[in-house]
Amino acid sequence: MAILEEPFVGVLELQNYVDGEWVDSEGERRDVVNPATMKTIARVPISTQDEFDAAVEAAQAVYPEWRRTPPLARVRCLFRLKELMEEHFEELSRVQTMEHGKTIDESRGETRRGIEMVEVATGIPTLMMGYNLEDIASGIDEYLIRQPLGVFGIIGPFNFPFMVPLWFAPFAVATGNCVVVKPSSEDPISQVKIVELAEEAGIPEGVWNVVNGGRDVVSAMLDHRDIKGVCFVGSTPVGRDVVYERCGATGKRVICQCGAKNYAVVMPDADIERTVASCMTSFFGNTGQRCLANANLLVVGEGLDAASLDAFYKDVVDAFVEASSRITIGYGLDEAVQMGPLRDRAKVERVLSYIQKGIDEGATLRLDGRQFELVNDLPRDCFLGPTVFEDVTPEMAIAREEIFGPVACMMVAGSLDEAIDMIHGSPFGNAASIFTDSGRWAREFQYRVECGNIGVNIGIAAPMAFFPFSGMKDSFFGDLHGQGQEAVRFFTESKVVIQRWF
Amino acid sequence: MSEGPLTASAIISFSTNLEARSAGFYRELAVCFPQHEDAFAGWAEDCEKSSMQVTRTYQETITDALEAGFSFSGLSLAAYEVDVDLPPGIDLDRALGKAVALEEGAIAFYQDVAERSALLLATIPRAFRRVARTRRRRLEKLGALR
Repeated sequence: MAILEEPFVGVLELQNYVDGEWVDSEGERRDVVNPATMKTIARVPISTQDEFDAAVEAAQAVYPEWRRTPPLARVRCLFRLKELMEEHFEELSRVQTMEHGKTIDESRGETRRGIEMVEVATGIPTLMMGYNLEDIASGIDEYLIRQPLGVFGIIGPFNFPFMVPLWFAPFAVATGNCVVVKPSSEDPISQVKIVELAEEAGIPEGVWNVVNGGRDVVSAMLDHRDIKGVCFVGSTPVGRDVVYERCGATGKRVICQCGAKNYAVVMPDADIERTVASCMTSFFGNTGQRCLANANLLVVGEGLDAASLDAFYKDVVDAFVEASSRITIGYGLDEAVQMGPLRDRAKVERVLSYIQKGIDEGATLRLDGRQFELVNDLPRDCFLGPTVFEDVTPEMAIAREEIFGPVACMMVAGSLDEAIDMIHGSPFGNAASIFTDSGRWAREFQYRVECGNIGVNIGIAAPMAFFPFSGMKDSFFGDLHGQGQEAVRFFTESKVVIQRWF
Repeated sequence: MSEGPLTASAIISFSTNLEARSAGFYRELAVCFPQHEDAFAGWAEDCEKSSMQVTRTYQETITDALEAGFSFSGLSLAAYEVDVDLPPGIDLDRALGKAVALEEGAIAFYQDVAERSALLLATIPRAFRRVARTRRRRLEKLGALR
């Protein structure tokens, strides 16, 4: 099987993109390491607060002109950006595999999802329209218009380095705002590539800026008086206790999409083969580093006696373990590989600690991800195989906490009611899936489950670009979500005009 | 013997490679047998078009393939490999024989992957079936050249 060529060689020296210029930072530089090969592939600046402030100043300066640019002219830039992304599809995808570790199929999927955001944002001339009503009183008309607000900050996560900032930036820019993106310092290359294309697409200087960095940049973003809103995707503690709280204190709009611990519920009438196939990508896709990943597989015995439930559970779990054990692990640019490494060694350590915790808590280790074969001759630092635990109960840490790695917990519930209660026992509410042939059970599930994204015979309940990426409880902080119409509302202020002519 | 589950990327790379080799083969035939230059050169262009269409379909639908999981199983790509090298001085009859073998192998490949991707978004098997159909028509025309 072919190993695809890396799209660049050597070590990239990354810069910030501010006011249409590529600028160096005075901050320290950190290595960006390819987690499959452990080679340094780039050096990213950890920018200073002053450098971030300069980007906001540039964005604020160009904002009045950009706002006055007709929506149709604004989206023409996005049409060109979309075309450039298609043209560079393969390069963008391979960069993601190099910087993050995901497989090439996963990277291409991420590129596609990112492009879809740009495509939907090109509909802004329609999406941004207000509404009106004549004669609300004698000779008086009333109408609503949507106006941009100014400059927004976007904080990207490491797990989808290309796609996630695109959940927000195209909508912000198309509605007439300007943005400053802070990519994850762990894998910032693809955001730099996007802004190279944005520049080529003719998006004016200062409208779409990228400032690399860490906590100082985030801190500056949260406190800056000219930042009207912040979009954040990352962990619950940072999202809830830092970003959401400080945006509240400084009067900013905020979208915080945070952690998760998602359940896949398997009903007795589920098609086991297709359920397990769907679960493989859901549990182990992106090496489990995904907020929509299912982590707990809940086999439900609704209507079954104890012996039948045991037999059904065994069928499901055996098929799950068998499929998990066949996943090929290695460098994502190898087309034979189905699961790449975790992003870095610290994340491996975290997953290892949870595997140990599961053992200590009394769960049965059915498939041990610490033992695995690599299809390539590579350093093993960031790799792990799929782990499957049985005899997991809801109180165990491995069932409650977000592991963010390839660890699956097998659980049992006697009825759908009991399954829903278990889901509601989790503080998170990002996603949940049900696998069934029964419309009644599926409807009951979607009606009652307190999660923002529901999958019915779908392992990864990922909303398309024209729907909001929802989330509830500790998985989301804010009012409006990213993507689709909600993003348009987030990035615009509604103004009502009541008009009479004498 | 079938290989383990094949990734979508592996299938598309095989298709890309198959179309590139086919295009090169027909281009060579166009030079060797100028009496059929138009037909061979046209088929070479068709191969490039097919490659572009399959790649585009894949890039536009890969997320659907990912959601459905590891669907390309029970295949051995080696079974579809066909020798397309043209020895110096090969006569038309033998060259056409190689072309027939190439088309038959390719049709089998596209039919098999279309069948295995039947549960995915309809555009995916449709793209494979379209290339198989193009190649079946070419196979008929090859018979007429003999």
